Amino acid sequence: MKKTLKIIAISFTLLLGMNTFISAHHAFTAEFDPNAPINITGKVVKVEWINPHAWVHVEVKEAGKTTVWMVEGGTPNTLIRNGINKKTITPGTVIVVRGYQSKGKLCLPRCIANGRDITFPDGRKVFMGSSGTGAPRDGSDPRERR
Amino acid sequence: MLDIAKWLATTEWSIALHESLYLYPWIESSHVLFICFFFGTLLFVDLRLTGKVFTNLSISEMNKGILPLTIIGFCLMTLTGLLLFYAIPVRNYQNIFFRIKILLIIIAGLNALFFHRRMSKEAKKWDKDSSIPKSMKVSAIASLFTWSLVIISGRLIAYNWFDCDRQPQSEWINFLTSCVVDYQLYEGIDGI
Repeated sequence: MKKTLKIIAISFTLLLGMNTFISAHHAFTAEFDPNAPINITGKVVKVEWINPHAWVHVEVKEAGKTTVWMVEGGTPNTLIRNGINKKTITPGTVIVVRGYQSKGKLCLPRCIANGRDITFPDGRKVFMGSSGTGAPRDGSDPRERR
Repeated sequence: MLDIAKWLATTEWSIALHESLYLYPWIESSHVLFICFFFGTLLFVDLRLTGKVFTNLSISEMNKGILPLTIIGFCLMTLTGLLLFYAIPVRNYQNIFFRIKILLIIIAGLNALFFHRRMSKEAKKWDKDSSIPKSMKVSAIASLFTWSLVIISGRLIAYNWFDCDRQPQSEWINFLTSCVVDYQLYEGIDGI
């Protein structure tokens, strides 16, 4: 009996430990900086429709300098559900992207960010991330619990 | 090797897989499910061979009952794993955790080979003497340990900390991941 209790206690502690491991491993804070929000406007140069994360490359021209931002989105599935597809986002589309920059900020050869939402030329604003990644609760995710 | 990965990435099926809306998440989820299936049944076999638990279960009986399940789990896990690799070949090939994982699988595989050769020959004898040689106990624990590390490194593949498109990285990381880096870009920057 004592032995069984011991085993239960140990498994329980391990489980709790696993839990903190998992919550610390939501992709967002591992790779992106919640204190570095970005708001960029630019032309789409390339969209990579790749699982598990699609990437939108945006060319931003500011003060005569051109920077390419590689913005991470959700899965192709989540993007298409939100109305972002091969027809609505093509190279040349001018979009506004809000999101958070990666922890590394050298921007060489390009800047990397996690995208939260995209505003299209017609004013349509669409959530482009995945829910429950541990990103700051900034209100861009319509499914976010408040 | 990098050229092979690059060629794989241009094949129709690879593109269909990584662009897919449902197939990729399905394969990914079933990979995890089969890992549970494989590792869960393996746990019984390995723990039994430590001689500490399930001692009233005979080893030859266990070989007949549980081991086939472990092998089925292994095959399905490997199949889905290969598909996941095939969907994103270049990134996986250059991923440091993927490389560590392959190394660990080779180690775990060699251990399993040793383990099963001996077990299939001597299981009846161990049952009769009700004792297990020490080397087998060590091998059983090593199996649990290496397969756990395989699972952990597999999980870490998802993180891009050492990816090629995330520079600067130290030279030896780029060497280990065979990244092709234009160092002129980073001239005069610390940490390279």
